[in-house]
Amino acid sequence: MSCNYSKEELLKKAKELELEFIHLQFTDILGVMKNVSITIEQLEKALNNEIMFDGSSIDGFVRIEESDMYLRPDLSTFVVFPWTNHAKEARIICDIYKSDGTPFEGCPRNTLKKVLKEAHDMGYIMNVGPECEFFLFHTDERGEPSLETHDNAGYFDLAPVDLGGNARKDMTITLKQMGFEIEASHHEVAPGQHEIDFKYEDALTTADNIMTFKMAVRIIAQRHGLHATFMPKPKFGINGSGMHINMSLATLDGKNAFYDEKDPTQLSKTAYYYLGGIIKHARSFAALTNPTVNSYKRLVPGYEAPVLIAWSASNRSPLVRIPAKRGNSTRIELRNPDPSANPYLALAAILKAGLDGIKNKIDPPAPVISNVYHMDDVEMKEKGIKSLPATLYEAVSELSKDEVIKDAIGKHIYEKFTDAALYEWYEYSKFVSQWELDRYLRKF
Amino acid sequence: MDSYRIVVADSSEGSRKLICKLLNKKGYKTYQATDGAGAIRISRSIFPELVIMDTNLWGINAYEAARIIEEDKLSTVIFATSNPTSAFYEKLKNMNIFAYVVKPIYPEQLYQMVEFSIMNASKIHLLSKKIEKLENTLESRKKIDRAKGLLMKALKITEDEAYKLLRKKSMDDCVSMNVIAEKIIKKYR
Repeated sequence: MSCNYSKEELLKKAKELELEFIHLQFTDILGVMKNVSITIEQLEKALNNEIMFDGSSIDGFVRIEESDMYLRPDLSTFVVFPWTNHAKEARIICDIYKSDGTPFEGCPRNTLKKVLKEAHDMGYIMNVGPECEFFLFHTDERGEPSLETHDNAGYFDLAPVDLGGNARKDMTITLKQMGFEIEASHHEVAPGQHEIDFKYEDALTTADNIMTFKMAVRIIAQRHGLHATFMPKPKFGINGSGMHINMSLATLDGKNAFYDEKDPTQLSKTAYYYLGGIIKHARSFAALTNPTVNSYKRLVPGYEAPVLIAWSASNRSPLVRIPAKRGNSTRIELRNPDPSANPYLALAAILKAGLDGIKNKIDPPAPVISNVYHMDDVEMKEKGIKSLPATLYEAVSELSKDEVIKDAIGKHIYEKFTDAALYEWYEYSKFVSQWELDRYLRKF
Repeated sequence: MDSYRIVVADSSEGSRKLICKLLNKKGYKTYQATDGAGAIRISRSIFPELVIMDTNLWGINAYEAARIIEEDKLSTVIFATSNPTSAFYEKLKNMNIFAYVVKPIYPEQLYQMVEFSIMNASKIHLLSKKIEKLENTLESRKKIDRAKGLLMKALKITEDEAYKLLRKKSMDDCVSMNVIAEKIIKKYR
């Protein structure tokens, strides 16, 4: 989806399109997209990397003394917003640089680039295809997002209109206009749950795409009077929303490094070692792939989400699945990430885990053949199968013990991320929930 | 009078019910929405002839909701307001028709505005459809001319022969000449 304009071409293009606003976008450590909006007159200044903003005003960035940050637009990410008919707007994704001209270590996009460079130095390019699920809910009578998937006001004479389905269709069209190649779009298991899959790209483009995707889905949902949420588990008792990550490594000349036609399973040694690294570090990168208190309510048995750290070639229940396709489509599907994750940090951590496996020749454990949901504790212990962290707190403490993953995200992000995650955890722990009231108020 | 369908979007229950009651009395079919998103949802489901929207709506801003409804051609929106300021008039200029009702609602004023709006909206709708059709015809005529020119040059034939060739190809492939012309332009450019 990159368009590869030069600076001059982009300026010309912007004038031709009569753009009024350009949004300079970047993602903060917690995975929230931020915008610095400029008018067309300032575009040239922006393309010369001269647009500044106050970094201390962004959550988890910097202290006030070092707050001058520069935005460096990545011209290949230029996209015109297809949904604004009245004023033409476009966006460019930016990297954040410090005032001394060096990359800011608190910028997740820089972080992913750093790990991608490490992979490149080892001779690999990471390709990623995500499967992003989300819910479309209605608003209540006060206009606040609700958990309803149908209007409760009865319009007796209305034919049942699939508002969610129409919205999804519109999202697909919009994403195509923005340069996405949509592979599939369908209704998911739970009521109101949807999935739109887009084509794999290199890891950086995919991380950008995930952020763009979430923005577009939210905006189009609003145009349909619906509220789109990427919260991992909005409703108890039904499936949560995951963001399965399909990934593979390509060699620098473009061959799939996971494929080996000579091996009986047609998987290369690289693929096995990569898998070994993923399995080894799964407990510690969970904090990044599943970064909210709510994430761990999705990772429970019974809702198609993985709980145990195991892999299989066919079975869909464990953490990692290796889809049957081979040749250039040989890939590994990691099933625990959810859409609340910061895609830049999540991919950086996952890739680092895989690279660690390749570097240190970590063999993966034997695959599981039976449905891991039906395994009992004794069997699990015998096979040495661990489970994913059960809470955000557990995940953060696992992360604190893993130097490899900590190195992937860098000291600055590690500290800010952990502070934020633990703060969230303590806030949650203090809160008295309805579940407790229902359970204990009468009992004691 | 045919039973026109009107969505009444107003967060105040009293005023919503009052407007609906008045409209029902005149034979209009009404649907109620309490928030901006709700108004969009109903409009998307039924494509009403008119939406009457209070400017102080819960949820997404009334002007934003109105813009979406008109941009996506779901219906025509008129506002109900108790405070018609100059800023409000500015917003109205962007709407399909410049019409609004002032609160408190007087039945006669409401009926007049609703009738006026539905009539004008349908006229505007017809006109814009006509324009769209004309623009399309003009556009395809330009394309066909261009394709003809390219064919004449490439195959060294007369204008008449080029036209006949286009027409034959269009009939053989069962697609409009417009499509064939596009293909030719792509090929010879």
